[in-house]
Amino acid sequence: MSRTLVGRTTAITAVALAATLVAACGGGSDAGDGKVKLSIGVFSDFGYANLIKEYQASHPDIEIEQRTVKMEQHHTQLATQLAGGRGAADIVAIEEGNITQFRQSKDKFVNLADYGAKDLESQWAAWKWNQGATDGGNFVLGLGTDMGSLALCYRRDLFEAAGLPADRESVGKLWPTWEKYLEVADTFSQKTPGKKFVDTAQNVYKAILDQTEEGYFAKADDSFIGDKNDKVKQAFTLAATLGERKQTGALAPFSQDWNVALKQASFATTTCPAWALALIKAGAGDEAAGKWDVAAAPGGGGNWGGSFLAVPKQGKHPKEAYELAKWLTAPEQQKRIFKETGNLPSEPAAYKDPEVTATTNEYFNKAPVGQIFGTSAESLKPTYRGTKDSKVAPVFGNALSRVETGKQSTAEAFAQALQEARDAVK
Amino acid sequence: MSWRDKLGRLDTRYTPYLIIAPFFVVFGIFGLYPLLFTAWVSLHEWQLIDGDQGFTGLDNYAELLSDKNFWNALGNTVSLFLLSTVPQLFAALGLAALLDRGLRGRAFWRAGVLLPNVISVAAVALVFAQLFGRDFGIVNALLGFIGVDPVDWHAETWASHLAISSMVMWRWTGYNALIYLAAMQSVPKDMYESAMLDGASRWRVFWSITVPSIRPTILFTVIVSTIGGMQLFVEPQLFDPGGTATGTGGDDRQFQTLVMYLYEKGFRLFDAGYSSAIAWVLFLLILVVAVVNFTVARRIASKG
Repeated sequence: MSRTLVGRTTAITAVALAATLVAACGGGSDAGDGKVKLSIGVFSDFGYANLIKEYQASHPDIEIEQRTVKMEQHHTQLATQLAGGRGAADIVAIEEGNITQFRQSKDKFVNLADYGAKDLESQWAAWKWNQGATDGGNFVLGLGTDMGSLALCYRRDLFEAAGLPADRESVGKLWPTWEKYLEVADTFSQKTPGKKFVDTAQNVYKAILDQTEEGYFAKADDSFIGDKNDKVKQAFTLAATLGERKQTGALAPFSQDWNVALKQASFATTTCPAWALALIKAGAGDEAAGKWDVAAAPGGGGNWGGSFLAVPKQGKHPKEAYELAKWLTAPEQQKRIFKETGNLPSEPAAYKDPEVTATTNEYFNKAPVGQIFGTSAESLKPTYRGTKDSKVAPVFGNALSRVETGKQSTAEAFAQALQEARDAVK
Repeated sequence: MSWRDKLGRLDTRYTPYLIIAPFFVVFGIFGLYPLLFTAWVSLHEWQLIDGDQGFTGLDNYAELLSDKNFWNALGNTVSLFLLSTVPQLFAALGLAALLDRGLRGRAFWRAGVLLPNVISVAAVALVFAQLFGRDFGIVNALLGFIGVDPVDWHAETWASHLAISSMVMWRWTGYNALIYLAAMQSVPKDMYESAMLDGASRWRVFWSITVPSIRPTILFTVIVSTIGGMQLFVEPQLFDPGGTATGTGGDDRQFQTLVMYLYEKGFRLFDAGYSSAIAWVLFLLILVVAVVNFTVARRIASKG
């Protein structure tokens, strides 16, 4: 073997080792063009595409990259990125159901109050602001984006087929309460046995529960009260009744099957917070244009979903990130997002604005969505969400699904759910 | 001895180590280190985002042993593993035997069996979830033609296991068949010829000559499939209509595998310590099953 070969193998090995080490600890850095690069991590459609272009045009020194992933993955990914200390976007969206969990790890986030966020407080509905703040309001974790004021969407043609009124005023009057909603379900099932009245018991349950002040956890001390709170049991029983009577499509909310069922027009009603209109439209497709309509929800307004923009501490440009988040959540921009995507602003100045209240939705038979959701938002009282809410909620969803598929009775399913919930919060 | 000879001897002795070193360095960084770190985490109460909350010794493991969801997940994993791996390896063996014969357009058929394996598992899972849809799925529509009532593939335990196994089989049968085929090609042809002369049937030749001759290959596929089967995750996870939002593998955990449970604990409930304990138990289980497999498979094969 010659000397050159020795040299060569050693060199190759050294290069391979070096490459490995570089790969292991490589890292990104800003481009050399002097621009500040900001990334914003969202899920589903936040309606930011055009706004980002505009912001870049008015801020030539800033370059913005939007990253979109599915909602569940988004929050899981964020958690691992926060744990790993790298990889998170400069601005991240956090959904209402998840923010309590992240609030516990607030030291991983920038306190927006340090940049003057407190001066903005009056922009938002008070409850929305409080959901994004902690430490008695001294730590501002996130600025509110949209909110999920509740309505009920229904298919006009199926209502007509069942001999029910089809105009939205009369439909809203059919169900002032959820008990009445059940009666309408019975009428519907008798007249049109081939169709389901509602997509899933899980959404009905969530809608009812979101109309109460407290759900699984006590407002006073964050303790688990799911087994003592009658409201939980009532909501569960009511939704499960629909399932027991086979009036639901037994679909997982917003799943692939849910989309297919929308396309096949196999169910007549679904709970629809403002942000769900876009999902229904996407699922049902153009051929169902004008067939869906929006009516008031039983039991008055409710709160369902809505997000916040937060700034993780690991970002390099917290100040610029805050400025962008502030701009994106300002009423002016929120109004435009509403027109584009239907996501309802969480700021009174925006949702009370005539431009917003006058908005109608062409696809939903020209429903005056601005007025419906705006009114619903006015009467909205948010449910208290416990720190461990996201651990407990899926347990009850699964229980309802077991009733819908006929595996368990309502009582059995509820008992099992309570046991699992207690285990989860232990 | 001149220094040049000395260097030459050093070269023959150490260069091979240098050449294989990169693998071990990479393995050390991306394999061994995470493994050991996971063991360390599993001995703590460890929150995913906030990290270490204190040393708890073997508490996580103790809790795991009395956790009925863990046993449920273990049962599902074993059931799915058996349902998918056993028929799959037999099917692959048969397929390989067919491909080993003089077919016209041989290259086309041989490349064709690998196609399912090339397609992204996420795409496969999405398509299969549609096929097995309860209300509008093709499988139920076909069953309807022969008068069978629609099956709720997602909700019922056995049905869901069958659906998920079919996905795994679809993906891996061709892959294993090609491995078997490669091995079959190296079986000496004169053995077949003498068997034929003795008047042995094709069936007899297959079991008495082909299968024993490719014993080491069968062993290899059994072990690789075992490891894959115990780590089954993507197919059932994407089959779950609730998606990662619940991640429980159906409304009654009817098809939640061990890795899905690990994911639920670690990444949805943020309990990294507990999740690490599951990971380590899974690691040990795979080790045990692989060793059992190895001994059993070798004994069976040596009988032939």
